[in-house]
Amino acid sequence: MGIEIDPEQNEVRALKRVTNWRRERVVEIGCGDGRLTLRLARLGAFVHAIDPDAKLIRTARTKLPRRFAKRIRYHVGQAEHLNHANESFDLVVFAWAL
Amino acid sequence: MVHALREAHRVLKPNGILIDLRPALVHRRVGTERAGRFRQLGRMYESLDDDRKANRSVALVLRAGLFNVEWRTQFDCRRVMDSLADFRTFVDEFLTLERDFPPHDWLIQRVQRALETRGRAKKIVVRGPLMMNVLRKRDVGA
Repeated sequence: MGIEIDPEQNEVRALKRVTNWRRERVVEIGCGDGRLTLRLARLGAFVHAIDPDAKLIRTARTKLPRRFAKRIRYHVGQAEHLNHANESFDLVVFAWAL
Repeated sequence: MVHALREAHRVLKPNGILIDLRPALVHRRVGTERAGRFRQLGRMYESLDDDRKANRSVALVLRAGLFNVEWRTQFDCRRVMDSLADFRTFVDEFLTLERDFPPHDWLIQRVQRALETRGRAKKIVVRGPLMMNVLRKRDVGA
């Protein structure tokens, strides 16, 4: 079955306490295979998810459920050079990436 | 890391929020779990240097006045595995992430022995808290 991370969803509980994620524009840095990205999308956020590993981004794209296709964009990229305009996001999440 | 934090500051709207979520500065505990009961078999010896570096970077951007600390918290996080192969994969990942990661064969053997003992099916569980820094963007010009 592989490795299941945080089955109790303590992470999501903590994230929910930060803000109301509905319709928030989010950059997630270090998204890996999209584990946390999907959780953020379930909270209602629009997520631009970035990881430097092209293989992981491919995996994340293949695992992306259709219902989240309009909420999640996966990109290969570096945290030091975000390909986004100034002041364009409500939240930036470093997902085990700092 | 400081560059990444500055870049995050750039793309955030005024008053935007930066969340730094990662494993806390603690060695992970490894054990087996059966019927919800955790039996510790050992601790991992990750270097934690990157975590210290990350803490220093966060402190730097706070000192530079880019963000204010809104909230800090720490909570438990379990990584649950069904097989020894999964645990090996988990340990091997540290080999790619940390240059000085010491061999953990002793721990893999302990886990293997624990799985081989008679009894009901066990899960392999790695426990280690996660920490979360919630930082609010400050307007540098203000």
